[in-house]
Amino acid sequence: MIGRSGNLRIAIEALRSSKWRSLLTMLGIIIGVVSVVTTVSLGEGAKRGVISQIEQSGADLITVRPGITENNDNKTSGLVGSNYNGTLSNRDLEVIRKVPGAYSVVPFSYVANTASQEDVIFNKGLVIGTTGGLPQVLGQKMQYGTFFKEDEPQRDTAVIGQRVAEQLFGENVPIGKFMTIRGKQFMVQGIFEEFDTSALVPGTDYNYAIFVQYDTGKELTGDSDIYQILVRPKKDVGSSVLAADITKALQKSHANQEDFTVLEQKDKLAEANNLLTLMTGFVASIAGISLVVGGIGILNIMLVAVTERTHEIGIRKAIGATNKQILNQFMTEAVILSSVGGVIGIIMSLLTNYLFRIFTDLTPILTWPIMAIAFGVSVLVGIIFGVTPALTAARKRPIDALRYE
Amino acid sequence: MPIIELTEVSKLYGFGDATAVALDEVSLTVESGEFVAVMGPSGSGKSTLMNIIGLLDRPTHGNYKLNGRKVERLRPSRQAKARRDTIGFVFQSFNLLPKLNVLDNVALPLTYKGMGRVKRQKRASEILDRVGLADREYFMPRQLSGGQTQRVAIARALINNPNIIIADEPTGNLDSASSRLVMELLSDVHKAGNTILMVTHNPELTRYASRVVFMHDGVIVADEQSTIGEVHQSLRRSMYFMPKTTEEDDLAGVSALMQAIPEKLTGKKKAAKDKKKPKNAKTKYKAGANAKKRGKKS
Ligand SMILES: Nc1ncnc2c1ncn2[C@@H]1O[C@H](COP(=O)(O)OP(=O)(O)OP(=O)(O)O)[C@@H](O)[C@H]1O
Ligand SMILES: [Mg+2]
Repeated sequence: MIGRSGNLRIAIEALRSSKWRSLLTMLGIIIGVVSVVTTVSLGEGAKRGVISQIEQSGADLITVRPGITENNDNKTSGLVGSNYNGTLSNRDLEVIRKVPGAYSVVPFSYVANTASQEDVIFNKGLVIGTTGGLPQVLGQKMQYGTFFKEDEPQRDTAVIGQRVAEQLFGENVPIGKFMTIRGKQFMVQGIFEEFDTSALVPGTDYNYAIFVQYDTGKELTGDSDIYQILVRPKKDVGSSVLAADITKALQKSHANQEDFTVLEQKDKLAEANNLLTLMTGFVASIAGISLVVGGIGILNIMLVAVTERTHEIGIRKAIGATNKQILNQFMTEAVILSSVGGVIGIIMSLLTNYLFRIFTDLTPILTWPIMAIAFGVSVLVGIIFGVTPALTAARKRPIDALRYE
Repeated sequence: MPIIELTEVSKLYGFGDATAVALDEVSLTVESGEFVAVMGPSGSGKSTLMNIIGLLDRPTHGNYKLNGRKVERLRPSRQAKARRDTIGFVFQSFNLLPKLNVLDNVALPLTYKGMGRVKRQKRASEILDRVGLADREYFMPRQLSGGQTQRVAIARALINNPNIIIADEPTGNLDSASSRLVMELLSDVHKAGNTILMVTHNPELTRYASRVVFMHDGVIVADEQSTIGEVHQSLRRSMYFMPKTTEEDDLAGVSALMQAIPEKLTGKKKAAKDKKKPKNAKTKYKAGANAKKRGKKS
């Protein structure tokens, strides 16, 4: 351990003797760390939001759609289904209902895309035909009124999302009010609680949906195409197992054609996660440029320090310091600059996180691994940008350095 | 075995037409325990010689054996270690680190040896006591007088128990009282068995030396044994190689030069005549030849 402790003391002493310069040099690193760490922790926060949202509606929810929908990360896919190169029929519904692990099976059929009330026309959502199991399948409660009961006789009533209530009726509780769908009057019998949504979750925003009974919808359209079937497994049946069973059963009834897609919720989760990771990574790497700028600041100031202290280097060499010991001295200094900058940056990031939580809806999450990596990167920046000045110092010829004034 | 053995060492600066010869095939052998005073006019290559002996600089040509080992082409790290373990430097401009206190300055060479903090401070403390500065341990260098600063520098040079102390005009920035203290100290170090090489412009200081070497234009022109306690006698013969001690003397011209020469040496007239042609080529050549002859003899 040659002179290690000595180097640390020398470095700290040198940095303290020019406090302002050291601080300004660290500023680059501080800003870099804060921007990268904050971006990453905002991304992390968004991910947690998505995960909790998806888990709330049930991580074991299975969605069956017609057609092969591999890339369904656009917002409308949940509503319309990606493409109709296959169909799901009532027969399929019955097939799925018979799969042993299925607990509740809920079909969605397309009924209309507008509804009106007096002279207000609502066309931002969809009218969906579905059955009584929906609240349970989605894990969603009613705010007012009730949803259809399973096996209830057909009635001309509808259940609506909150945006529909606000935009079609201009009030929060339009229970008992009427609207017109495909020329037929429907009475509002229930309003869902606000669905927790995030723009980043691929799927449907049910706050814009109007639900009517499945059979009523079928009558209205004369069409029995189903664009999506939601299935929740029985307790202690894994969703993957059930998904596989459903696939097998449907394949059999479709004469071995795979013209449908069985999506597990965790596929959606992975999709959302991938998207967020990509975006966070992209923004973080842009923010990372400021870390490079910080590193260049260190490079610059260390080169200046080496020139300023040429005579000192000469003295140290004259009394027996080896090139390596001089190298270590200046490396220590650069790494202290960058790592102290890193620590300050991390502390500032904690503060920034706190401010975000207080003043915005965002909930950034700063984990230990993020902090550890941020610190590690700061140290690395010090090493990378400290090497050139330190080598310059180490390679000075003793007599030249000693003569330098 | 001689402790220092230089064989036809040259040092050239620049190249082509601009080449300057700072050392011209200098051969010098120093035995352990000698106190060598190196004298000569400004620019005669004294510092260059000291820097090469001290491994701060490399010769352009020639061989250098330190303690019997060839060192002139060693790798920088080896040279650094040789410097650390066998050579202590005392400079005219002191060269302490201004941001370290006296104790840390003295202890610094031990840091590069990897010695622990407590141990090296204890040792530094002992050495400071030896140079009579025990009560200045926690002073900063700028808080010391010139003489005290130079004693601290000597303490630093001594801390590794080096065999060789190289002092390039150690009293150059000091008044006579401080010079005396510093010289007594070096003399003690010499008596303790160390080899000392000291550059000086002050003939008085040859009284501490066991040998006096004169240089001129990169050549050793005289190399004589000297009696400790007495100002070296043949100084008088080589007097015209003496430097003009200060710039003022330079400007003041002949009369000032005459002042610098002891009157009893010659008549005033003769001295003046000699001084008018100090760069007499013939004399110089002769002196150089003498030096070479002497080099072979020893
Ligand atoms: N780095 C250098 N580059 C070019 N020439 C140099 C360099 N260092 C020394 N010299 C030349 O080498 C010669 C010897 O210089 P040196 O410093 O050894 O003289 P010196 O005897 O110590 O003089 P002084 O008594 O003034 O200290 C001088 O002519 C000087 O100009
Ligand atoms: Mg000199």
